[in-house]
Amino acid sequence: MNTVLILLPLILTILFSLATVPILVWMERRVAALIQDRLGPNRCHINGIRLGGIIQSIADMMKLVFKEEFLPSHIKNKFYYLVAPSIAFMSAFLTFMVIPYADNITINDKTYYMQALPTDLGVLWFLAFAGLGVYGIILGGWASHNKYAILGSMRATAQVIGYEVAMGLSLVSMLITYGTISLNEMVTYQSQSFFIIPAWGIVIQPIATIIFIITAFAETNRAPFDAAEGESEIVAGYHTEYGAMKFGLYFVAEYIAMAASGALIVTIFLGGYQLPYLNTADLINNFELVLWLIIAFAVVTSLMFLKWMKSHNIYNTSGLDEKKVYATLIIGFTAFAILLMSYYALGFGHASAVGVMILQFAIFTVKLFFLHFVFIWVRWTLPRFRYDQTQKLGWNILLPLSLANIFITAIVVVGVNYGN
Amino acid sequence: MGIKVVERHGNTFKEKLYLPAIFAGMKSTLKHFTKNLSDASNIPTICYPEEKPTDITPRYRGVHRLTHREEDDSIACVACFMCATACPANCIEIVATFRDDGVDEKMPAIFNIDLLECVFCGYCVEACPCDAIRMDSGIYSVIGKVREDFIYNKAKLLSIKGISKEEYSLAK
Repeated sequence: MNTVLILLPLILTILFSLATVPILVWMERRVAALIQDRLGPNRCHINGIRLGGIIQSIADMMKLVFKEEFLPSHIKNKFYYLVAPSIAFMSAFLTFMVIPYADNITINDKTYYMQALPTDLGVLWFLAFAGLGVYGIILGGWASHNKYAILGSMRATAQVIGYEVAMGLSLVSMLITYGTISLNEMVTYQSQSFFIIPAWGIVIQPIATIIFIITAFAETNRAPFDAAEGESEIVAGYHTEYGAMKFGLYFVAEYIAMAASGALIVTIFLGGYQLPYLNTADLINNFELVLWLIIAFAVVTSLMFLKWMKSHNIYNTSGLDEKKVYATLIIGFTAFAILLMSYYALGFGHASAVGVMILQFAIFTVKLFFLHFVFIWVRWTLPRFRYDQTQKLGWNILLPLSLANIFITAIVVVGVNYGN
Repeated sequence: MGIKVVERHGNTFKEKLYLPAIFAGMKSTLKHFTKNLSDASNIPTICYPEEKPTDITPRYRGVHRLTHREEDDSIACVACFMCATACPANCIEIVATFRDDGVDEKMPAIFNIDLLECVFCGYCVEACPCDAIRMDSGIYSVIGKVREDFIYNKAKLLSIKGISKEEYSLAK
């Protein structure tokens, strides 16, 4: 139990960053397709099982892994050229280490942290590694010895310098509000509510939220701030000279960086793993009631999903009958989960702390995937900002706005705490 | 026509905020997303091998065919070489021969179209004085395993049916 609880956040970090990449690629393509009135990938299958198209992104990853690694002969600094994608990948991956996936859990008077790196300096760690991720892009663009690549990496550099300032300043205003730099304490702060409104970061600091979300888009080089790869202008930007898994690492790094930014936005602004009005103690005390609600929710959603699948999974592939397999799996899994949950809900066993922890993982995952959806949704809505517009937005609007926000926040916080 | 003054946008405070316009755009894309997610039947995508295209009209330039004469069902082509001359891809090979049955003077002994060379421009159809060559077959997928499969000869071209009502050559 001891080892499991210590290793759990590490495993979750790997799951949330690496294992979600195929799902994110699939989401990106499917959401894009549906937004543009298309269908998206739905053919690739393993013995008839398509998983709605996820197999396609697994096939794409396999292709990238097994493709021939070649080195363009004009590249002089081979070491930098080869190390650049790993820097982008590593820093995106390490950013995830400080995100709290659930509240600290106390079992037998011993407290376990649900962060892969149980540090109080979470925000600083995030800023450091999110900034470092761009070094991979800059180094890759420079070492590629290619005009398009260097243009792309120059754009990325200028953009990151402009936006990192505003990002840091918007975080400073959040730190003043919460009075802590520990990410877990920030989430705990957000479990309280002012009158009837939950005290989520998005409610108490809407301007900082908007600034942080905009800068997070710029920091991860996602559309509408993807000038670094601007394929209509500079071929592919910084990864023009990269192929096979070297490109694959950049590709994965972008998605992991997006996931990490999304996780930090969830943690700081969207209440982290908390449900509104319900803090961890409330959940543990009313665990039976929560379980019955989850059981009802599971039944309704799985029935709705089965009905939806019946009308949408139209084309049969060769091999197994996909619809039957899914229906069996869903019904079986739901029945198993309901049996397990009702065992605890009827009071035969006591595992409320672990149960709440699992529930908080689930809440965090749902919020994170909502954020991923927003990232994808924005990408397929907005056109790319022109380079000078990006700079103007960063320096002329976001920077003064975040400074003003800090100023107002500080006044309010000092004023509120004056009497105490 | 007077001078038309084009209104300049983007200078009011609301427009400079960007966010209202961005949210309006996101609302519009979300509407498409939810509509297509709840009912995929509105999506115009054709799942090709299972579903066939429904917009093939008689004017669609598909694979060529050689037409027949209405009187005796014989070949309408008189081997005048007009199509081969008009062809920009130089994919039509004709060898002419005498016609002994008294219907006409000449006919092609060999009439080959190399579909790998053909650019499907339709100039051969325009050039033909006898309405002997047409591209109204509606066939859009040409399949073969070797290069020779793509050279359609006289018998093959005569056997292809058109999708228009005019089955025979309209030439008098």
